[in-house]
Amino acid sequence: MKRGHGETWDPPPASRSGEGPSMADKKKVADDNNNNNMDDELLAVLGYKVRSSEMAEVAQKLEQLEMVLSNDDVGSTVLNDTVHYNPSDLSTWVESMLSELNNPASSDLDPTRSCVDRSEYDLRAIPGLSAFPKVEEVFDEEASSKRIRLGSWCESAGESTRSVVVVDSQETGVRLVHALVACAEAIQQENLNLADALVKRVGTLAASQAGAMGKVATYFAQALARRIYRDYTAETDVTVGSSLEEVLQMHFYDSCPYLKFAHFTANQAILEAVATARRVHVIDLGLNQGMQWPALMQALALRPGGPPSFRLTGIGPPQKENSDSLQQLGWKLAQFAQNMGVEFEFKGLAAESLSDLEPEMFETRPDSETLVVNSVFELHRLLARSGSIEKLLNTVKAVKPSIITVVEQEANHNGIVFLDRFNEALHYYSSLFDSLEDSYSLPSQDRVMSEVYLGRQILNVVAAEGSDRVERHETVAQWRIRMKSAGFDPVHLGSSAFKQASMLLSLYATGDGYRVEENDGCLMIGWQTRPLITTSAWKLAGGGESRR
Amino acid sequence: MSEKRISMVEKSNNKRQRVNQVPKFSINDHHDVLVEILRRLDGPSLCSAACVCRLWSAVARNDSIWEELCFRQVSPRPSLSLRSVVSALGGYRCLYFFCIRPVLARLPKLRWTRDQLQLSLSLYCVHYYERLYVGAWLGDAPPAPPSSLMFLRKPVNVV
Repeated sequence: MKRGHGETWDPPPASRSGEGPSMADKKKVADDNNNNNMDDELLAVLGYKVRSSEMAEVAQKLEQLEMVLSNDDVGSTVLNDTVHYNPSDLSTWVESMLSELNNPASSDLDPTRSCVDRSEYDLRAIPGLSAFPKVEEVFDEEASSKRIRLGSWCESAGESTRSVVVVDSQETGVRLVHALVACAEAIQQENLNLADALVKRVGTLAASQAGAMGKVATYFAQALARRIYRDYTAETDVTVGSSLEEVLQMHFYDSCPYLKFAHFTANQAILEAVATARRVHVIDLGLNQGMQWPALMQALALRPGGPPSFRLTGIGPPQKENSDSLQQLGWKLAQFAQNMGVEFEFKGLAAESLSDLEPEMFETRPDSETLVVNSVFELHRLLARSGSIEKLLNTVKAVKPSIITVVEQEANHNGIVFLDRFNEALHYYSSLFDSLEDSYSLPSQDRVMSEVYLGRQILNVVAAEGSDRVERHETVAQWRIRMKSAGFDPVHLGSSAFKQASMLLSLYATGDGYRVEENDGCLMIGWQTRPLITTSAWKLAGGGESRR
Repeated sequence: MSEKRISMVEKSNNKRQRVNQVPKFSINDHHDVLVEILRRLDGPSLCSAACVCRLWSAVARNDSIWEELCFRQVSPRPSLSLRSVVSALGGYRCLYFFCIRPVLARLPKLRWTRDQLQLSLSLYCVHYYERLYVGAWLGDAPPAPPSSLMFLRKPVNVV
């Protein structure tokens, strides 16, 4: 056993320069701490008070501390300040060390390395160490419900909470996710004070996290804050909101392949359905800027046998006074059609909600034209009010289309339980933001606007309720059930659509990340392993009419 | 320049003597032949040729040269109606620069079938539509170049 004198100790390694002066301090602690007869005698000689009953526990914590401090990352942050604790009471000292290292404030370095010599080996011999006994949870003042995982050296799967120190800087991303989920749990349990504290913590953590994770977390934190304070107001001016939405969607169109994929695959399905028609009438349930239709018109123009006449009915939000953006859009498309040599007719319908539409408004000519209904990201909004989707599907059935193309997000954001919705949305939008992040060749404005576009969706999914919450995405399985019960049969998208989609994705620089999958006739585009957008096609059930 | 050149040659005794020269053939006099030659070039060579002189640059703007370049590997050849569509969208030269060349750079072993052709044309359409009709609407003044095809460009490349 070595006696503690500052001078006899080897100079500490450079990374532990803070150890020197503090060691000297500790060694001056008196030897006669034998107040408590329960203290371990060996350690007491060195000047450390440890109760024999606590030995196993203290030993395990010391081991944890040693592993933590041997990691360079933490060691350097710990060295910033030195706060001197009295280490003679080992168990409280180790506890305070561990809790300090959870907040990156610094404290003394591991004193046990050099000083506990033979006794340390004695401690290791205690059989309790290998069993990793439960240790009480380290309490952070704000995150009382936060779970923190063990470092990498622990292999056994613990049942309950363990006290850990996060050693890996990559794990700050995991901390962020855990904090977000904890906040959502708190909201689910109506514990709004805790949620408020947690959301602030998420905000600070997110600000220090670079990359996609930080951005997603920031948007989710803002949405959670709005939910806590019940500060969600749907935009009262529908026209302003919708024109902003169109601008943002245009940037989203440019920056990533999801919308292009949707348009091209839907167009291919439409082309195959109207292959022999002389007159084609397309009803677009959400016209936006009409980006889908130039490509269709061009494909129709190149059809062997010449182009059919093309009629487009576009539905948009209510118009501001003195502006008729729908009609102007019609003019642009008409000019384009003239360039293509395609006979073109346009009609714009302004409707606040799709359920307001009646079959007569479309003025269909069932004897002469083949009808197509197209919906990109429009159907899920109707799930906010009960009865709307059924009414729309009945209207669609009444006009007797040859094919209905539906593009929807592939996620279940319409669950009843808020926490489930939150978790789903977190994974979904993390994937989306990840895919945006990798496309470094983009003009930055496109990417930023796309993120704002997605951020608005996040806000709606998380913060809104009732009829305000319009982003009620559902998976293709759910839509299949809904469409089948409404009287539609699926139409399989052909291999042409699949090949075009594959080629489109391979053109993207980050082409390795995007995936096209075929799912029982529907095409899904996803990022890495997560499907994100699904295109599907439907026709009226039971013996369709012959196509003209 | 005329075909037959009668050059004046100065003789040492300061008397000029007429000499009949072999008529020089200059390709620059025969634009149609020049076009036929350029049609058989590959992309990089054609672009170099277009930089030789102003005359060649003007000749190289002939769209049929670029049509040949675009669809050389496509079989069967696309129909003639394609020509009117592509010219309406801005011509084969722009199609090559905006769509075909980046696609070939990204996917050099691409087999050009109908589907690939259809996709390239769709992208070209979108680009045209966005350039003409959407840019101004977005409120940029002057309109920013359409970015729907930016994903085809490499980060440092300037087409």
